[in-house]
Amino acid sequence: MGRDERNNPRGIKKIMAENFKPVTLNFGPQHPAAHGVLRLLVQLEGEVVNKAEPHIGLLHRGTEKLIEQKTYTQAIPYFDRLDYVSPMCQEHAFAIAVEDLLGIEAPLRAQYIRVMFAEVTRILNHLLNIPAFAMDIGAATPMLWAFEEREKMLEFHEAVSGARFHAAYFRPGGVHQDLPDNLLEKMKTYFTNFPKFIDTIEELLTENRIFKQRSVDIGILSKDDAIKLSCSGPVLRASGVAWDLRKSQPYDVYGDLDFSIPVGKTGDTYDRYLVRMEEMRESVKIILQCIDKIPEGPVMIENNKITPPKRSEMKHSMEAIIHHFKLFTEGYRVPEGITYRAVEAPKGEFGVVLVSDGSSKPYRCKLRAPGFAHLQALHFLSYGHQLADVPSILGSLDIVFGEVDR
Amino acid sequence: MSPNLLQKYSIGNFHFSVKSGVDNILVKKEAILEVVQKVKEDEELLYEQLVDITATDNLMSKSGYTEERFTLIYSFLSLKFNKRLFIFTNLAEGDLDIDTITPIFESADWYERECYDLFGINFKNHPNLQRLMNDYNFQGHPLRKDFPLTGYEEVRYDENLKKVVYEPVTLKQEFRDFDNESPWEGMKETIQEELKK
Repeated sequence: MGRDERNNPRGIKKIMAENFKPVTLNFGPQHPAAHGVLRLLVQLEGEVVNKAEPHIGLLHRGTEKLIEQKTYTQAIPYFDRLDYVSPMCQEHAFAIAVEDLLGIEAPLRAQYIRVMFAEVTRILNHLLNIPAFAMDIGAATPMLWAFEEREKMLEFHEAVSGARFHAAYFRPGGVHQDLPDNLLEKMKTYFTNFPKFIDTIEELLTENRIFKQRSVDIGILSKDDAIKLSCSGPVLRASGVAWDLRKSQPYDVYGDLDFSIPVGKTGDTYDRYLVRMEEMRESVKIILQCIDKIPEGPVMIENNKITPPKRSEMKHSMEAIIHHFKLFTEGYRVPEGITYRAVEAPKGEFGVVLVSDGSSKPYRCKLRAPGFAHLQALHFLSYGHQLADVPSILGSLDIVFGEVDR
Repeated sequence: MSPNLLQKYSIGNFHFSVKSGVDNILVKKEAILEVVQKVKEDEELLYEQLVDITATDNLMSKSGYTEERFTLIYSFLSLKFNKRLFIFTNLAEGDLDIDTITPIFESADWYERECYDLFGINFKNHPNLQRLMNDYNFQGHPLRKDFPLTGYEEVRYDENLKKVVYEPVTLKQEFRDFDNESPWEGMKETIQEELKK
């Protein structure tokens, strides 16, 4: 593909007055509609976008380099800080990647807990993205409503891990702690009623005239283009590709659960919104199934060479104390090998390429973030649109800079 | 799958541990453009989506996979056959040129720029090979194993000069890197045996 074609991906013809000079505008890095620290150089011809060039890296913290210096246990909290609105899904990817290299599998109860909380996290993520997108194009109310519900769901996060966001709950070999008493009943009551809340948000937005005028037919991504541009998750599905890693390459207990994959038609920003709305309903279904099916049993493999011993055991067993000491200083050694495990994070395919050289620290840990590829497609999507549509497109891509910049 | 095609280019395999549905081949770096074109278009493979391009620096690796300094890892996905392919290629120190695959996969653009930024791998004929993650005037390639974790420069806002200034890193406390590894060689086998139980 030639340079001209890259700059004008749709071959749009523009009629311009003679002697018309394009204006270059610096959008961000501190702009409320930029969803974080995005510096976007927009070249405008009048109000029409001629070129949109994202400059990223303003939130680059060198996570991959830092992980190389930490043991496998110490690396987990970094995953919460990547895409900080959907923390548990990323821990999930790391946990299954390490389990893959160790050749272990988490106990069934732990797998159910993980799936359940991955779906809670997915709803949390969409409940931030949808109202933020709506706010970018003029609707302020959904934000206030959704945040109230988010706060209620974060209480579930807090109940299991002690933290609202940076949970560090999913560990290689299971989850850190068992669920507290009565949590399942509380979650069941909450999530049985939750679809009603989705209905109220839909009432506000789905048929809203202003919302539709700002989102229908904006930033259309065809099936082929979505695949070509490495899109994944809701962005890919909104373009009509029925692809979801929870279905096609199931991990943990997703294979045993019954849920469907919403798919869009046109691939515009409005479709991406609809797909996310529908995904929340499916997530509720998954959570309710997990609550019904979850078995009793351990939540972490009981092998003290990899997972820490119980506190109570440490009060009387010398061996337990030695294990505890070794695990939190040296950590556990992971056999040599390379692996790639991906999960369907709320934003798309989040993958971890993990290289181990047999020591207790990851030799290399590459984080494949879905937002990275989506942001790259921004020029493609916004070319030929008006400047006011750029926030709409950006909002529908669900960009979070924690994961893009890493 | 068409193993013949993959076999044709393969000069070896990587010790790759993924449970199912994954192919991996090691190719010569000169062949990369051809291989990528083939796996995308071959009707029995159809790896039509590029998932990721990344690299590892083998400088400190204790596992003797390769003698070369860098390994590039290309990751592809076939949506039709629900399969993944990993293409590995080795780059020797001092010869870090490799053809860009942007003419075949448009989205390789940023992935290659990231590899250039963090590892210093030079992708020939790339349309815009600039730094992506790091600062505009950054020196060095941070993910190389010989780049210190603390970096070389630090940044602060100078109230007198009214601008951001760059200074060499000063550490209030010496950088500490404890080696907690047990000297017992037996550890590895013990874990494996325990797991088999």
